[in-house]
Amino acid sequence: MKTVSSLLDPLWYERYKRISNLNIRSSIYDVTNRCNLRCKGCFFFSSGEHHVQEETDLKKWEAFIDREKARGVNLAILIGGEPTLCMDRVEAFYKRIPSYCATNGLIKVPRDRFPDMMVGISLWGGGEDEKILRGKDTFAISSRNYEGDPYTYYLYTVTPKQVGRIEPVIKRIADVGLKVHLQLLSNDEGVDGFHWHEGELRDLRVEMDEMLERYPQTVISSKYYHEVITTGMMLGRRFGWRECPSVTESLDNRQPPVRRLIHFYRWAADLKTVHRCCTSATRDCATCKDGAAHMSWIMVNKRDHIISTRDLQNWIEVYEMFAKLYRLIPW
Amino acid sequence: MPESTESKGIVRRVAEIIIEELKLEDVTPDTFKPDMDLVDELGIDSMDLATIALVLQDEYKIVIDEDDYPRLKTVRLICAYIEEKLAAKQ
Repeated sequence: MKTVSSLLDPLWYERYKRISNLNIRSSIYDVTNRCNLRCKGCFFFSSGEHHVQEETDLKKWEAFIDREKARGVNLAILIGGEPTLCMDRVEAFYKRIPSYCATNGLIKVPRDRFPDMMVGISLWGGGEDEKILRGKDTFAISSRNYEGDPYTYYLYTVTPKQVGRIEPVIKRIADVGLKVHLQLLSNDEGVDGFHWHEGELRDLRVEMDEMLERYPQTVISSKYYHEVITTGMMLGRRFGWRECPSVTESLDNRQPPVRRLIHFYRWAADLKTVHRCCTSATRDCATCKDGAAHMSWIMVNKRDHIISTRDLQNWIEVYEMFAKLYRLIPW
Repeated sequence: MPESTESKGIVRRVAEIIIEELKLEDVTPDTFKPDMDLVDELGIDSMDLATIALVLQDEYKIVIDEDDYPRLKTVRLICAYIEEKLAAKQ
């Protein structure tokens, strides 16, 4: 029988033990239906998930968050809409549960109210791509708001048009003293020229690996994650509905049961509706490129990686990447 | 204190359930080390534990609270937990 210590040297074994007991219970919350941008390809608006009656009573939010905490949630991932349009709701989460705020960075999270809340700023490429997909180059504003912030990183959604052109974006981020994590556009709204082709994905994987080697202090990633997200394959299995771990627990009727995030829910801003998964129900799981879903897919399949030293090290690196993104371990 | 025959039986049965539920290879209930850390060495996670707990609940007619999972670190500790639950029932 293969055991963890039989596959790892003492240094790697220590790294494994550092993360093996983190016991993360995350859920995702639409803090608001409103946004100060309307990006092409944003799953929230393209799927109609914003068509719920938003709860506006802060007391009800607080009671809801208390119930979520009692349910065992120990990592609240705040999305939207744009969460920073409702700072009081964000604060209600932050005061109760370790929280992560996904934002477009146009509004600064005030650090006197949220000294150590993790902030992830969405970025969809260089200035031109941002203008096409989001209507403006958000980096100019977000980088000014968050320059040098130790609890902030960019979540860079790479599009097919950026293959071969990632480095200038990474360099801009490094120059303002921030970190970056990479994921891939899923093109939910079928914007022309933004569909992925095999060759582009192959080239992108090489490029992502190069960025990790060239900017190790800036890029929070791992080569195994690059492999899995660009190929959609892990240990010979293909990502899709039968494999995705990020499905809302009450809507998950898959048989036989799938390895999944325990007690994961994605709640709408009415605090009653639940969405199917961490992205949208209208997305085709077979072409989903969501970074968090792929990362979680690897993480929940730990024992399947206890087959060789390299496989287990790959798993550890991905788990460390996740833990760093939420500052559960230091950068 | 020497382990009772009953405890030995539970240890063996728990090992058997873990091997079966997790589809472990190259190990039998007799060679399974009862003090091996299931998380640090075998790599089991809370979903694995939930699977094992369901079978144990059926087998011993006990309720295993999810908050107790951190206590279930080895086969021997699981056995002690089951005995504690069984004793509380009597």
